[in-house]
Amino acid sequence: MTRKWVAYSRAALTAFEMSLRQNIMDGFIIFTVLIQPLLIALLALWMLRAESGDQAIFVVVGSGMTGLWSSLLFISGNSITGERWSGTLEILVGQPTPLPVIVFGKNLAHVTQSLGSMIIAFLLSSVFFSFHLEVQQPLLFVLSILLTVIAFVSFGLIIAPVFIMNPGVQGWQNAMEFPVYILSGFLFPIALLPDWTTPFSYILSPYWAARALHGATTPGGTASDILFSLAMLVLFSLIYLLISSYLFRKMLMKTREDATLGFQ
Amino acid sequence: MNAIEVRELRRVYKTVIGVIRRRTKEVVAVDGISFDVRRGELFGLLGPNGAGKTTTIKMLTTLLIPSSGTAHVLGQDIVTQANEIRARIGFIFGGERGLYWRLSGIDNLRYFASLYHVDPDHTRDHIPYLLDLVGLTDRGQEKVEGYSRGMKQRLHIARTLLHDPEVLFLDEPTMGLDPVGARELRQVVRDLQAEKKTILLTTHYMFEADALCERIGVIDNGKIVALDTPRALKNLVSDLSVIELEVFGVPEGLLEQIRNLPFVDTLSVEDQDQKQSLHVHTAMGSEAVPQLLGVLDSVRVGRVVVREPTLEDAYVRLVGGKG
Repeated sequence: MTRKWVAYSRAALTAFEMSLRQNIMDGFIIFTVLIQPLLIALLALWMLRAESGDQAIFVVVGSGMTGLWSSLLFISGNSITGERWSGTLEILVGQPTPLPVIVFGKNLAHVTQSLGSMIIAFLLSSVFFSFHLEVQQPLLFVLSILLTVIAFVSFGLIIAPVFIMNPGVQGWQNAMEFPVYILSGFLFPIALLPDWTTPFSYILSPYWAARALHGATTPGGTASDILFSLAMLVLFSLIYLLISSYLFRKMLMKTREDATLGFQ
Repeated sequence: MNAIEVRELRRVYKTVIGVIRRRTKEVVAVDGISFDVRRGELFGLLGPNGAGKTTTIKMLTTLLIPSSGTAHVLGQDIVTQANEIRARIGFIFGGERGLYWRLSGIDNLRYFASLYHVDPDHTRDHIPYLLDLVGLTDRGQEKVEGYSRGMKQRLHIARTLLHDPEVLFLDEPTMGLDPVGARELRQVVRDLQAEKKTILLTTHYMFEADALCERIGVIDNGKIVALDTPRALKNLVSDLSVIELEVFGVPEGLLEQIRNLPFVDTLSVEDQDQKQSLHVHTAMGSEAVPQLLGVLDSVRVGRVVVREPTLEDAYVRLVGGKG
């Protein structure tokens, strides 16, 4: 059993490495991960330029999270569809490593590289706008980043099989981008939204990730509130993993029955 | 012991046609085929496009679920024991797809080796050997997007050997290759055969099947219409001669007249730019030539050759001149 998991971990790490190598030259990915979050950060920081610097760290974290979500939605969402078009999906399915393990490695690469958006926003804020940025609770911030990555990767494991089974849903990718920015409170607190939207926020792991990260970086965040958000993040990650396990099984059976693993 | 056992395997594809009045159309791709492949044998599936060769391979490689029937690879059921089979087989499908073009040849092999759980130390030593085997040693560091079609095919062969599989499924591996590339690839297949790998090869190139395969199953319209050694298949047409006539602009009506001649067994037509090459199978031998020329009196006729039948002629007879 241990040997099998060592082999799976190795396969996931190689998928991670190879995805990074491929993504580094992809213009669309560079735009999604770096340029778009940079534009969002620029816009928000410009609006804050007359204020004191207290909210700047909120913008840095928030715009970074927009990069995480866009990367997950577009790059992870499209990755399996892309494998199908390039004829590699059949090869990935026809070998002994389970497909979710490979997609986990690929998603990890996509989410990790999109942390670059947060660094870009940080540099923009401190160098060009001269805001003094200070992370209030560094340890909890690092822990929040780690769990955020895992939560987003898990979320991506749901998106990929859904897009394969329902190509029509993929057409709604653009429409899914901004509602999650808003409902998750990436760039402003959800308290500003109507009350009826709150339940939708609560079932999104990006909301709990944003809440933990904002809590750890801005003044006023309490350790108990951050830890509660992290617990919710872990809970939702587990739920997403369970759902994705079911969806992958269903997707693989359906594509083998319908002969839609590849295109002739 | 058999490496592959196929019993009454059937696969039906369903497609939805129409926009307003949607109807489901069923197409039978594989229609109840049965055959065995012995361990260490190189078995060929020969058939025209759309005969069911690729569908059969996809079912045997666990990528497609049969509509009915059973198949076992290395004693494991292709539906219920797919994971066990996957670790022990290798497969390639014809064409350039199925590789990561933005990665180098070596990175592609490293990636697939990890997915097949090959030990990293072994991978490091094994990849140079495989690149050498398929003649890509000098190009392994380059990105696949710069490879020719033949190089991609050879990289596929290297990929499929990474985990030293017991059974190989090669679906039209020389499709689209230039003659030199195809010959090199056939040599690789011969080398694998020498290593006693079980190989199931599909092709629609007769000489390839004749040169490589120990036994051949001829598949047409989803059914196996003949299964034997190349020599035995050729014997199916040993009573016939083949008359090849080069003609220019022959109308369909005259072709129909030739088909209806009592001494004509089968007629196949090959279009070559301005001219057509007619292949007439007949038991009459050269005596049929004057009568054929009589029918073709109104068209220009070039070269006329009478020859002994080949495997291709046996195949044409079996699949009714569609190949």
